[in-house]
Amino acid sequence: MAEAQQILRDPALFYWILLPITVVMVLTGILRHYLSTLLQSAPKRQPLAKLREQRSLLRSANLRTNYAQISASAFQKRREWLIENARDGKFLADPDARGKGKPNPMSDPAMMEGMMGMMKGNVAMMVPQSLIMGWINAFFSGYVIMKLPFPLTPQFKQMLQAGVGTRDLDVRWVSSLSWYFLTLFGLQPVYNFILGSNNAANQVTQQMAQSQMGANPMGGAEDPEKLFNAEAENLEVIEHYYILDGVEDRLLERFQGAI
Amino acid sequence: MANPLLEAPSKSSPETAIDLSQQASTFITSQSSWLSAIPYPLSLFINTESQEKWQTYENLFLACLRTGDDNTAYACLESLTDRFGKGNDRVVALQGLYKEATAKNESELAEVLREYEEMLKSDPTIFSIRKRRAAVLRSMGKTSDAVTALTNLLDQSPTDAEAWSELGDLYLTQGSYDQAIFSFEEVLLIMPYSWNMQARLGEVLYLASGRTEGGDQMKILSESMRRFCRSLELCDDYLRGHYGLKLVTTRLLEVLSTSKKPQQSSSDPVRGDLAPPSVDAVKKLNELATSKLAEIVRRSNSGEKGWDGYSAAEIIAARELLDRDTQKIER
Repeated sequence: MAEAQQILRDPALFYWILLPITVVMVLTGILRHYLSTLLQSAPKRQPLAKLREQRSLLRSANLRTNYAQISASAFQKRREWLIENARDGKFLADPDARGKGKPNPMSDPAMMEGMMGMMKGNVAMMVPQSLIMGWINAFFSGYVIMKLPFPLTPQFKQMLQAGVGTRDLDVRWVSSLSWYFLTLFGLQPVYNFILGSNNAANQVTQQMAQSQMGANPMGGAEDPEKLFNAEAENLEVIEHYYILDGVEDRLLERFQGAI
Repeated sequence: MANPLLEAPSKSSPETAIDLSQQASTFITSQSSWLSAIPYPLSLFINTESQEKWQTYENLFLACLRTGDDNTAYACLESLTDRFGKGNDRVVALQGLYKEATAKNESELAEVLREYEEMLKSDPTIFSIRKRRAAVLRSMGKTSDAVTALTNLLDQSPTDAEAWSELGDLYLTQGSYDQAIFSFEEVLLIMPYSWNMQARLGEVLYLASGRTEGGDQMKILSESMRRFCRSLELCDDYLRGHYGLKLVTTRLLEVLSTSKKPQQSSSDPVRGDLAPPSVDAVKKLNELATSKLAEIVRRSNSGEKGWDGYSAAEIIAARELLDRDTQKIER
C-alpha cells in the first residue's frame, strides 16, 4: 500500500469506547479475583486413615526410587515388610471395602464438595465474561476505534478487525470487539501489578491450569487396593544396587588434583 | 548470601538470631506505611501481600523468642494470627511455641502439654501440634513418651523427614543405635541428596561401631566411612563430612592393621554387603580429609571470601583434631 489510509475518527470514540472497555475489563478482573477468593472453600482436612493410606503409598514409591541410598540388607527388610503389608491391605483407609472395586464418585460427599467448588469457580468466570461480551456486542460493535503505530501483515486482519466487514481496510485499524479480545488475553501483567502474582483475575490462565490438572475430575480416585498391589509388584522386581559401592574410589578420583 | 530474614530459622546461628531480633521492631513499623492505610474501597486495588512478608514475620518471631524478646515476638504472632486466623495449623503451632517459650516452670509447661493433648483429642490431624507435643515431651525429659508420640505420628505419616530425623536423634540419646540408623536411613529415602543427613548417618554408624568387635566392627566402620564419602561427594567442602572421614579412617586403619583375618576380596553375596575397603584407599582418604580440613581451617581463619560460612565452634573442633594429630607425630 503506497500511502497510508486516512480515516477521520471522532475523538469521542477514544473517550467513550476505548477507555470504557479497558477500564471495565480491568475492573472485572479485579472483581473476579475477589469473588473467587470469597467463593473459595477452605480445603477440607482429610481423615487420618486416608492420609495414612496416601502417605504409605508415597513411602513405598520413595523406596522404589531411592533404594540405592540404603544397603541391600536394609532394603530387603523394608521391601518384605512393605510388600507383605500392602498385600494384606494393612495400609488401606477402609479395609472392609476391599475387593468392592471403584466407588462411585457421585456418592462420595467429599468428591461432591470438590466438584461444587469447581462449579462455583467456573460460574464466577463465565457470567461476567458473557455479560461483557453481550454488552460490547450490543453497544460498540462495528466501530473502528484505534490505529496501531506499526504495520502488520494481512494475517492479523481476523484478529484485529472482528466485527468490521471491510476488505480493504488497513490491518492497523483495530475494531472494538477485537480490542475486547486483546484486553481479555493481555491484561495478566496489569493484574499482577495490582493484585500480586498469584491472583485469580484472569480466566484464561485459570482455564489452562484446569485443563492441565487432569483430564477427568469425575473419574476420581483409583481403587487404592489396586495401587498398592501395583506398588508391591514394582518393588518385587527391583534389582538392588548400592550407591556407596565404590564411593571411596570415586571420591579419590575427584579430589586427585586437589591433594 | 541470601537474605537472612527469609532463610529457614533452624539454619541461623545465635549471632544472626540476635541481629534479626534487633531488626524486628524497625521491620514491623516499616510494614505500616501509607500504603496499608488506604481506606476500604480503594484498598482493594492495592496488594500488600507477599509470601516473603509472612515468612519474614515468622522468622522474626522465632528469632525474637530465641533472644528472649518476648514482646516483639508477641507482636509478630499477633499479625500472623490476624492474617491467617486462629485455626491455621501453622499459627496454632506458633502460638504453642510462644506459650512454651514463656512458660516459667515445669507446671506451666505441663499445662501447655495438656492443651496440646486436648486439641489433638478433638482433631488428631493437626500434625504441627503433634510435632510440638513430641518436642515438649522431649524437652521435659520424657524421652520414651516422645519416642512413642513420634512413632505414632510416623505410622500415620511415614513421609515426614523432619519427624524421622527427630526420632533418630531421640533413639541416639537413648543409645539404641540400630533404631537410630533405621530412622536416618528412612530420612535418606525421602531426601536422597541431603549431604548433611548422609554425614549424620555416618556419625551414628561410627558411634555404633564402638559397641561391636571383629568383623562386624570393620563392616560398620567401612559403611560409616562410605557414608562420609558420599556426603563429600555431594558437597565438597562439608566440614563435618571431612571431620568424620578423618576420624573414621583413623579408626579403620587401626582396626585393619590389628585384624589377623585375611581380607575378603569380594563382597559377600548372601548378605549383599560391600567388601571392606583396601588399606591403601583408606590411607589416601585419611590424607585427603586431613589436607581438606587444614585447608578449611586455614582459609576460614584468614577470612577468605566464600569460606566464611563455617560455624566457629566447628572450626575450633577441626583445628583441635588436627593438632592432636601433629602431637602424635612429634612424639
